[in-house]
Amino acid sequence: MAYLAPTEFVTKMIDAGESKLLMSTRDTLIRSYMGGAILALAAAFAVTVTVNTGNPLAGAILFPVGFILLYLLGFDLLTGVFTIVPLAVIDKRAGATWRAALRNWALVFTGNFGGALTVAIFMSIIFTFGFAEAPNAVGQKLGHIGEGRTLGYQSHGAAGMLTLFVRAVMCNWMVSTGVVAAMMSTSVTGKTTAMWMPIALFFYMGFEHSIVNMFLFPTGLMLGGNFTLLDYFIWNELPTVAGNLVGGMLFVGLPLYYTHYRRTAKRKA
Amino acid sequence: MQPLPQITLGQHSRAGPGGPNQDCHGAMLPAGHALAGKGIAMALADGISSSRVSQDASQTAVASFLSDYYATSEAWAVRRSAQCVISATNAWLHHQSQRSDARFDRDRGHVCTFSALILKGRMLHLLHVGDARLYRLHPQALEQLSNDHRVVLSPTESYLGRALGAAAQVEIDYHQWEATTGEVYLLASDGAYSHLDAPAVHAALSSTPDDLNGAAAALTALAQHRGSLDDATVVLLRIDALPAADARHPQLDRAGLALPPPLAPGQTFEGFTLVRELQHSARSQVFLARDDSSGSQVVIKVPGTELREDGAALDRFVLEEWVARRVDNPHVLKAWPCERPRQHLFVAMDYVQGQTLAQWMVDHPRPSLDTVRTLLTQLARGLQALHGREMLHRDLRPENLMIDRDETAKLIDLASVWVAGLSENAPRQPAEAPPGTLQYMAPELLLGQDGSAQSDLFSLAVLCYQMLSGQLPYGLACARVRSPRDMHTLRYVPLRHHRADLPPWLDAVLKKALSTEPARRQEAVSEFVHDLHAPGAPFHSMRSPPLVERNPVRFWQATTLLLTLLLLGMVGVQILRS
Repeated sequence: MAYLAPTEFVTKMIDAGESKLLMSTRDTLIRSYMGGAILALAAAFAVTVTVNTGNPLAGAILFPVGFILLYLLGFDLLTGVFTIVPLAVIDKRAGATWRAALRNWALVFTGNFGGALTVAIFMSIIFTFGFAEAPNAVGQKLGHIGEGRTLGYQSHGAAGMLTLFVRAVMCNWMVSTGVVAAMMSTSVTGKTTAMWMPIALFFYMGFEHSIVNMFLFPTGLMLGGNFTLLDYFIWNELPTVAGNLVGGMLFVGLPLYYTHYRRTAKRKA
Repeated sequence: MQPLPQITLGQHSRAGPGGPNQDCHGAMLPAGHALAGKGIAMALADGISSSRVSQDASQTAVASFLSDYYATSEAWAVRRSAQCVISATNAWLHHQSQRSDARFDRDRGHVCTFSALILKGRMLHLLHVGDARLYRLHPQALEQLSNDHRVVLSPTESYLGRALGAAAQVEIDYHQWEATTGEVYLLASDGAYSHLDAPAVHAALSSTPDDLNGAAAALTALAQHRGSLDDATVVLLRIDALPAADARHPQLDRAGLALPPPLAPGQTFEGFTLVRELQHSARSQVFLARDDSSGSQVVIKVPGTELREDGAALDRFVLEEWVARRVDNPHVLKAWPCERPRQHLFVAMDYVQGQTLAQWMVDHPRPSLDTVRTLLTQLARGLQALHGREMLHRDLRPENLMIDRDETAKLIDLASVWVAGLSENAPRQPAEAPPGTLQYMAPELLLGQDGSAQSDLFSLAVLCYQMLSGQLPYGLACARVRSPRDMHTLRYVPLRHHRADLPPWLDAVLKKALSTEPARRQEAVSEFVHDLHAPGAPFHSMRSPPLVERNPVRFWQATTLLLTLLLLGMVGVQILRS
């Protein structure tokens, strides 16, 4: 199996980050919309497996299928661009500024949210026969997943917020490790194997993934969860985004950059 | 499939009843490198019967074409090489006529028709002056592929419209098309083709299928038997095998070279001792090394993990040294002059001590116009050296340019260079992704169009802008161009927004070089450099830009103040009236 040495794939990470900054608005939106939608579908699938088997591990082991699919199709997730885009800025690639990075993140957030929301609406229609019946078992489970992960944190106040944030950090630490590990291999089997473990891990441990949550919570609201839209944003989505950013950038991108790339001489000099 | 084309050739010439044979024909079937680089060439010349020296003209034309064509640069496309050689022969023939009595009577000078057919890769090229004809043989008919340069005055009266040696300049017809295995071509002088037809050619071919020379002889005899009074010459060409459509460049021979093992500093490799790693990416690994025999420093580049299974990428990898060996210019990195046989695939280049332009820009954030101009002029010279050899750099960026200790700027990365002579082995493939770096790439390349010298000029102008201001002229918007519509939304940010101390004409020169449409840019890199040194009147007549462009904030502040005062005045008048 072809394997890239660390210095080789860190250069690839920076190149990938640079290419995200250079992507047209349309491409960025399309790729992030599709990324959000496929990840949402994978989350719906994993919850269904969990409910039907009664075993959360089964759902977690199967969840990476969707993630791997969207990675191989070249779609974007906010968690991924959090990790690689800052590297292009730090490496001072031409035109790479924090402003351009923020633009990319805003576009990817919008696209991911649109995609996840589309799947949330479609799945809600499926779970409730077009809102004509009470939600089925999976629907009920989804409806109440959101409560514990918004109001649950809220009831603990600052400690709850801290827990939420750390869970989000841990989440993207794992997810981005998976994405980066995928870059080490040049074959599809290699990429798939490398991604599977970290992704299954985060899902089983219930870490907070900003895009998975863009599906879980709107679905919950539509299927009768007892929390409000404001609860969702303040007590989940926004801190999760911040935690994902810290986890991806601080614990995955920067360490690899400084240890494997910076110490090598820059070019023929 | 063969890596190189294979043909069967038959040729014969028979003098007419009227005296010496004024036709001349010849072919060159080289082997090895010349076959890969320049192809197989056939030529036919036909002297005019009114001149007693035209057999000299036709012999000279054919002989000099067949020798000189193979002496032209391998980087040149067939068209340019052949036209160069034919034009030179024309000038010589014309000069001969001018020195003799023939200067008073063109019909007695060194004048002949000339047709050359070249097979390179899968492509056939025809260069043609005069009234010889090239035919493609079909089951029922002969398809004429050349035009007759003959002016017909009446059914009995006509004269040659164009010929070699007739004038100081000659216009040469050029056609190229893809050959097909099994095709038969017939190149013939007017004494032969006017009395031949498809059934005759088929009959001759089927009587001696393995001996095309015999068939050609039979055809010339038949033409004269049917009443031709002129010299008759027939060249028959059968295409037996062609390289595969996706065949790699046979010029970039890397057969028998193994991929290098993993390397580390301290190791010896092919007679070099690796000193330290200069760069390591998925595409390549670059080492500073010392040549064990001479002790001098050299840069060794080996393909990275990602390239190892990609044949086309490995070809481009080898291309770097191929290009460097053919361009001798102080501003283009040279290949290491190493004649040792190699076992592994690697590239050895001169070591340049200095810094990349990227580092230079960090060290010199606000350079003077003069400093930038000096560096740009040097880079432009390097680019001109490439353009003169029908090559395009295609990947100008600060990391690919070095400034050495003596402040000499050099182009160092030649792996993306496009070479006309290498890209014409097969018909144009659908555009692959352009190899350059998006921030510096001309917009037409992003739209999948072919690059030109003006695309390199665009990149050079981006570099000029970036060296002076640290910014990109269109920001990142240019790199995001996906359709011609996007191109019209690009707005050039004047350099004076970033640095007011630069002269206004500079913006005009740069804006022209950075036009989104290549046709609006300067025609060549040299023109751009000239404009930078001596901006012509059109640039000088540019007045200083209006305030709204120079300082929009101040403009709108002033406007707002004025309007506020006006409003206050009107309110005051109203109050006074009431």
